[in-house]
Amino acid sequence: MAQSTLRYEHNSSNLITISRLSQQAPRILENYFSIGDTTPIVPFPNRENPGDYDILEQLAFSCLQSGDDRSALRCIDILASRFGSSNNKVTALRGLHEEATAEGRPELVKCLHEYEVILSDDPVNLPILKRRIALLRYLSRPVEAITGLIKLLDAVPTDAEAWCELADIYQSLGMCPQAIFSLEEALLIVPNAWNVHSRLGEVFYSCSSSSDAGNACHLLRRSIQYFCRSIELCGDYLRGLYGLFMATLLLLEKMSEESTMTAKFTTTGTLEALNTYARRRLEGIVARRSSDHSSWEHNQAELIAVKELLDRSDRPQ
Amino acid sequence: MALQGVEQTILRDPALFYWIVFPITIVMILTGILRHYATVLMNNPPKPAATLAESRERLGLIRGVNFRNNAYVLSPDSFEMRRKYLIDAYHEGAFLKDPENRGQPPANPMTDPAGMEAMMGMMKGNMMMMIPQTLIMSWINAFFSGFVILKLPFPLTIRFKSMLQSGVMTRDLDVRWVSSLSWYFLNLFGLQSVFGFILGSDNAANHMASQMAGMNPAAGMNPFQPGQDPDKMYQNEAENLAVMEHFCILDGIEERILQNYGGQ
Repeated sequence: MAQSTLRYEHNSSNLITISRLSQQAPRILENYFSIGDTTPIVPFPNRENPGDYDILEQLAFSCLQSGDDRSALRCIDILASRFGSSNNKVTALRGLHEEATAEGRPELVKCLHEYEVILSDDPVNLPILKRRIALLRYLSRPVEAITGLIKLLDAVPTDAEAWCELADIYQSLGMCPQAIFSLEEALLIVPNAWNVHSRLGEVFYSCSSSSDAGNACHLLRRSIQYFCRSIELCGDYLRGLYGLFMATLLLLEKMSEESTMTAKFTTTGTLEALNTYARRRLEGIVARRSSDHSSWEHNQAELIAVKELLDRSDRPQ
Repeated sequence: MALQGVEQTILRDPALFYWIVFPITIVMILTGILRHYATVLMNNPPKPAATLAESRERLGLIRGVNFRNNAYVLSPDSFEMRRKYLIDAYHEGAFLKDPENRGQPPANPMTDPAGMEAMMGMMKGNMMMMIPQTLIMSWINAFFSGFVILKLPFPLTIRFKSMLQSGVMTRDLDVRWVSSLSWYFLNLFGLQSVFGFILGSDNAANHMASQMAGMNPAAGMNPFQPGQDPDKMYQNEAENLAVMEHFCILDGIEERILQNYGGQ
């Protein structure tokens, strides 16, 4: 039925769902979105469902990711015929399509110039601003990408997505304090996002490896706190549990090396309890999800990583 | 007093039914549909910010509100740092679109084109409600006033008299009789679900929805009403930030986790 096939896929960031969705693309386009089929009869208008256009946008992204550029272009054309080709989102999708079909660097640079032309006409075209930043990042010009993002965030400080992207770029350049600041800003906008909490924990964790011993313990402690919060918000969050396990393990090691630091921070007992707790939960999740293969198909990579971590931590003992 | 236990009978011409009940109902439904399409046609969505500076001015305030509401996710030192930054920025007017105009009296919304447009939008919405209602009410008053048009098939208490028999000043009439003016009111408030069926659930014929929308502006809209001075709002927000108390949700989270989930 229409309802079940056009269901909005929430976890579409994983590749299996994407390829499945995009394989259906020609059929969905054929059946549900043929252009100009009926004229509305007053007072029973051709009821258009706003959700359909979300699906169409999603479908365009999926098609681009799985390489089905023709279907993607059709999706974009339908969207353009409904919202006009000068619509912000439609121009961004067109740009994305051009980027996807571009061959080699010169064409990408051409896309970049096109974006700049669009932006000189309409400086608040947010989707294009973001595309430009993503393209700059792809072309390995991170400093320009950061400048662009800071300019964007100065005007739109309530965009959590942009703050996360900024944090990601900063972290890839090894600028941890800046990355932490950006993620904290994102948290202020979405205070209950467990993935952002856990991401912040990860940044603290990687930050601790590049600082001196005293500071490292402090940063690890912060990292553990953020992982804990992410687990508090979502009990089964695999990434948070994984991080908690790693961070507590590392902090316990560091504390056994330098016994002077221990007094200032949380007690060894708590850390050990947290470590065993994370371990137990991870084992439980691995057992549960391995047996129920079909519904956790798209998370296999994470599951394998957890198994490996558990194996590794077993070996020395 | 009417005789208790004895059913009142009124001899009515059956044509009353066809020439009053049906016309009122049909006219109400048609005006509802017309109103829906007129509102859709005349409605212009709130304008997004035209320049980056304008968007910055709008969202600068929302940032402060977000910070005030969600500061518990921050550790005390990053909280203090941000608070100091935001208060200073608000005091200096760093987020303002044109900092030179600070302290000037706010532009008159009647002369400011943007403010004018917002006010016109509100007025158009109100007119869409007012004009058809006034017209139909006077139409019914002129043509059908004083008719008793139908009898409800169930008994009601005396309290419903004012609701069902407006326009008919008869003290002794049984409450079950409905007057034409009351039929209009019943239609006015009772056709919501009919419009929902014909026009879809988010139709503009439903005037209740339009009243509710005024109370709850969607996020992303302009937080400033026309004629409001952004600088004043910023100073207010700076004051709010200055007096707020901070607690950190990360305090003692390790123990909390162990206590709440450790036993499982």
